[in-house]
Amino acid sequence: MPEAAAPAPMVSLLAGFGRELRAAGVPAGPGDVVAYCAALARLDPADLADLYWAGRAVLVARREHLAVYDEVFGRYFLGEPGSGPGMAMARAAEPVQALGALQVPDAEPPARGERSPPALLGLAASDAQVLRRKSFAACTPEELAALRRIMASIRLIPPRRKSRRTAPARRGSRPDLRRMAREAMRARGEPGRLLWRRRKARLRPLILVLDVSGSMADYSRNLLQFAYSARRAAARVEVFCFGTTLTRVTRALAHRRPDDALDRAAREVFDWDGGTRIGACLDAFVRDWGRRGLARGGIVVICSDGLDRGDPAVLGAAMERLARLSHRIVWMNPHAGQDGVPGALGMMVAAPHIDLVLPGGDLASLERLAALLPSLA
Amino acid sequence: MDQPPGRLPGSVADLTRLLRGGGYLADRGLATALFVALSLDRPVLLEGEVGVGKTEVAKTLAAVLGRRLIRLQCYEGIDANQALYEWDYARQMLHIRALPERQAADPEAVDKLFGPRFLLERPLLAAVRAGPDAVLLIDEIDRADDEFEAFLLEVLSDFQITIPEIGTVRAERPPLVILTSNRTRELHDALKRRCLYHWIGYPPAEREVEIVLVREPGVSEALTRKVVAAVNRLRDLDLAKPPGVAETLDWARMLRFLGAEDLDEATARDTLGAVVKERDDLDVVAGSLAEITAGA
Repeated sequence: MPEAAAPAPMVSLLAGFGRELRAAGVPAGPGDVVAYCAALARLDPADLADLYWAGRAVLVARREHLAVYDEVFGRYFLGEPGSGPGMAMARAAEPVQALGALQVPDAEPPARGERSPPALLGLAASDAQVLRRKSFAACTPEELAALRRIMASIRLIPPRRKSRRTAPARRGSRPDLRRMAREAMRARGEPGRLLWRRRKARLRPLILVLDVSGSMADYSRNLLQFAYSARRAAARVEVFCFGTTLTRVTRALAHRRPDDALDRAAREVFDWDGGTRIGACLDAFVRDWGRRGLARGGIVVICSDGLDRGDPAVLGAAMERLARLSHRIVWMNPHAGQDGVPGALGMMVAAPHIDLVLPGGDLASLERLAALLPSLA
Repeated sequence: MDQPPGRLPGSVADLTRLLRGGGYLADRGLATALFVALSLDRPVLLEGEVGVGKTEVAKTLAAVLGRRLIRLQCYEGIDANQALYEWDYARQMLHIRALPERQAADPEAVDKLFGPRFLLERPLLAAVRAGPDAVLLIDEIDRADDEFEAFLLEVLSDFQITIPEIGTVRAERPPLVILTSNRTRELHDALKRRCLYHWIGYPPAEREVEIVLVREPGVSEALTRKVVAAVNRLRDLDLAKPPGVAETLDWARMLRFLGAEDLDEATARDTLGAVVKERDDLDVVAGSLAEITAGA
């Protein structure tokens, strides 16, 4: 609770509220608290509705934080018993356990003292050649760590599309009046040659949808690392994980250090090694993200073995919608290349809507994806 | 009930009353956000489902405050020249051609060429010039790209625009700025921090009835209640595109135009295009029209 500052108890009360919000994870800075005070100076601070709505407008900047705001407001101003903190703690504790199940080998080079001498580089490179074709599932942790370092160097370049912006060009479709006017002025009004502009090319967005369910467990962790490397590419990249539910991990992967980023992403995904409901998850993706524009005109890469426990009709409908929204759909299936594995029902249902199927179980297939990506225009 | 220009409503209740006079029913949260925005000269970012009245509130606000509405519709590829100002190159070139040889070298002639006469004003410059006499609506900001957002951030932070050939145009007091977004992509936090934020959800049924009655006075109250009840059931159906308030209004308007007294299964089937605008959704709805139109 706020300490009793003599001159402006109201201000310190509001500042205390700001602190509580920050503690609960809403990024309300001192500047926002100043604005909150200024707003209330025009309103009636004794009126609970004014207090609530002004704070909500000033201190909250995203929809996800509205529920947290409501809860902290209730606790701080209305003294509602703290179901809040207990809940928050229970929620914080869960992902830690989930994290225990996930071991991400270090992708970063070891600390300075233990760095291997450069003379060994040739050997490491030849190892990498062997590793390329080895299934992720069969690799030792050391080999996986080596693979991750190679993965980090793969550059993903999605195909380009024409943007609505134009740039000066030698030949083009519309005259560049601005440049022509400048040239004409230099020539004292004599119109010179025709100058042109043409539409610029922009990289299409790349959307990775990774299966993290039990049947994919050996692969999906590596794919997450792959997704992290992809995030560092120039284009817009969005990453989602799914098992029984769909989670967006794009924000978590935005960290600079790969290990931090992977830890955070792993913490956000709740159903590592759970079952798979591909249909329902893709349907959720289309509804909540795809329709709003995230997948529009983009390249969607789905990594899954197609072993769906849900209704095939749901998967079929979701894939059809996704195919209409996106530009191209690539499906990477780590079990596709293996002998004796019958085609999963999910794959058969989804097949008519897929533009390209790739195996996804080893490094070579990831490199193939990177090589094929620019040609998917 | 128009407000004399330049004056601000004195309280949240005042503003709510004003908006109501203009045919817009704002709830307490929206009215507070707008009132604070007007008092503190901060932009407001309105997010919400499609068709809940984000754009409409800006239009109404401009009308009832007696301000000019300046609208900047964002789209992919919009750039500074389309938002700020542009020189009228065609006229400039004609003008140079018309000058006698000797005068064309005259520095004064060049100054004239880059003077106010040849400047084409675009929405942002217009808004900065109009200052508090304007409501600037930056519509569907999420459709513009990142670069434009960064540029907008600069304009919104100090409301001054520098035109190298003419000088700096500055607003003594900024206009009221309303940004809307349909959340097709995540906006940058920097832009969000500069703005007040309000999420407009679907109104409760009672209020939605009121909204329809205010906007479409020709529709009977009984019919309105049935329409609103039906729309609310549609929203519960898990449709790909749930109907917004705009669809409710469209539906009521359509039924009035067709002279329908009551919303039964048959009339609903004929007029469903006003509310359900997705083929897959039509399939979902078609099976349960009887329950949907069962009344309030």
